Amino acid sequence: MSAAAGTLARPARPSRAKRNLALVALALLIAWAVVTLDFDPARILKLPGGVGFVFYKMYLEHGPDWSYLPKSLGAMLESLEMAWIGTVIGAVLSLPLGFFGARNVSSGLVSNAMRQVLNAIRSFPELVLAVVIFIPIAGLGPVAGALAMGLHSVGTLGKLTAEVVEGIDPGPVEAARATGAGPLQVQRWGVLPQVMPEIVAFWLYRFEINIRASAVLGVVGAGGIGFLVQQTIAFKRFPLAGTALVVVIAVTIVVDTASGWLRRRIIQGSEAKGQGELVEQPELIEAA
Amino acid sequence: MSVAAHQTTPRPAKPRPSPVLPIALVAVVAVTWAATSEQFGIGLDIGSIISDITRGAGILGELLRPKWDFLPQTVEPMLETFRMAVLASAIGCTIALPVAFLASRVTAPNFATYLADRSILNLVRAIPDFLYALFFVAAVGIGPLAGIAALILFNIGVVAKLQSETVDGIDPGPLEAARAAGGNRLQTVRWAALPQVLPNYVAYSLYTFELNIRASTVLGIVGAGGIGRLLLREYKFFNWSNVSVIVVELFVFVFVIELVSITLRRRLV
Repeated sequence: MSAAAGTLARPARPSRAKRNLALVALALLIAWAVVTLDFDPARILKLPGGVGFVFYKMYLEHGPDWSYLPKSLGAMLESLEMAWIGTVIGAVLSLPLGFFGARNVSSGLVSNAMRQVLNAIRSFPELVLAVVIFIPIAGLGPVAGALAMGLHSVGTLGKLTAEVVEGIDPGPVEAARATGAGPLQVQRWGVLPQVMPEIVAFWLYRFEINIRASAVLGVVGAGGIGFLVQQTIAFKRFPLAGTALVVVIAVTIVVDTASGWLRRRIIQGSEAKGQGELVEQPELIEAA
Repeated sequence: MSVAAHQTTPRPAKPRPSPVLPIALVAVVAVTWAATSEQFGIGLDIGSIISDITRGAGILGELLRPKWDFLPQTVEPMLETFRMAVLASAIGCTIALPVAFLASRVTAPNFATYLADRSILNLVRAIPDFLYALFFVAAVGIGPLAGIAALILFNIGVVAKLQSETVDGIDPGPLEAARAAGGNRLQTVRWAALPQVLPNYVAYSLYTFELNIRASTVLGIVGAGGIGRLLLREYKFFNWSNVSVIVVELFVFVFVIELVSITLRRRLV
């Protein structure tokens, strides 16, 4: 106690009322969800057993059925093609739209309108776009899936492009203008070289996302490996499903790795040794 | 002319154009051509799509006339989607926190743990949410439990990845201070690392909550509960006016949640 005379008094503890209030609200929300969720708690106990059973049937009982490999690879190739076409459609259309959506390049009115359009497109998942627009037009099959992914990608990529363009250094634009460049030439030589690396990185990232999305589209009949996985599981042909799952996981990891390496190269240049993670987090940029 | 030449410095030599760009461009065009072609790819024919564009007109007409009487029937499945998202986020993000600390070089106890955790995370992330859902539906049957289990794994993948990268970038000062004060590994993480990354963690958790709501269409379609199940049913019966009610509702729901989540995130980070 006598030491207190020598030291400064402890500062008052900052108020935690807000934090505690938020925690209580969160706890109530979770409690409400648990109480009102309509399911039998006993089934939770069955979860580990059920997962073990399916895994055993897929890989341990007879092993995965490798005779299904060619068919799985063919379907996965179709998924990759859908994802590729979807990404190309998205990339080609979103580039000009993104420029129109950037406040510093187009006018305030145009950029606002374009942003709203891009946001509206973005908020419909590929699956919904496929079901309500493209399957009626193109029929069941991979074409509908590719187009749905393309449209959705226009929304996400357009928004990202606009944001990248808004973040440019104005110097080169002024320099281009000072040398007498026309409006299009300013974009081509003043803006495009600055934004292209990041935009191409986003395209690659979108391709990775589209591969996952193309698996889902198979379930509604829009082609690809998703249909195969769903059918084999629905008819309890687990060794076949096991093979298809291995193909999905292996191909996804390979493409992710290759694409991630390329993205690092594009953003950081050839000096990057490919060890460090990308600094930016596309998932979050996409969500913001 | 000769006078001007004396006064200006000579133009620097033009850098030699890199061959990478044209090669990449040709490769992209070739792959795109192959992927759209009839024999190698999916057979995308722009001409026939343009000529068939009216085939969707009838359906589109119905979609544009949503039957709002259907709305009351969608409330319960929508709430189920919401509950599933809440529970999956709560459980998934809780598990993801220690996983993230073990997956960062800064806080992992040793290299083996770090490497093992990273590899498992990469595997978890390679599987799309809907494949988890299919797997769990096969394991525990149709219903929200399968959906929640699928979302939990999906959330662990997303949050642990983002969070571990944030932990990689923290200021090492407080860690050293905690260690110097005699803190053990757990105490160091709790008092020196966690406070630095907590705002990001909350932001990532909110973000995954949003993702969970978006994933609901997909989950329902494979039988894992929520609004997607209703969407698939109405789609199968060609009740387009009801489909559009669900789509509009989902649109508004996602929009509101995104708005709330973005506002909260802005205030946190």
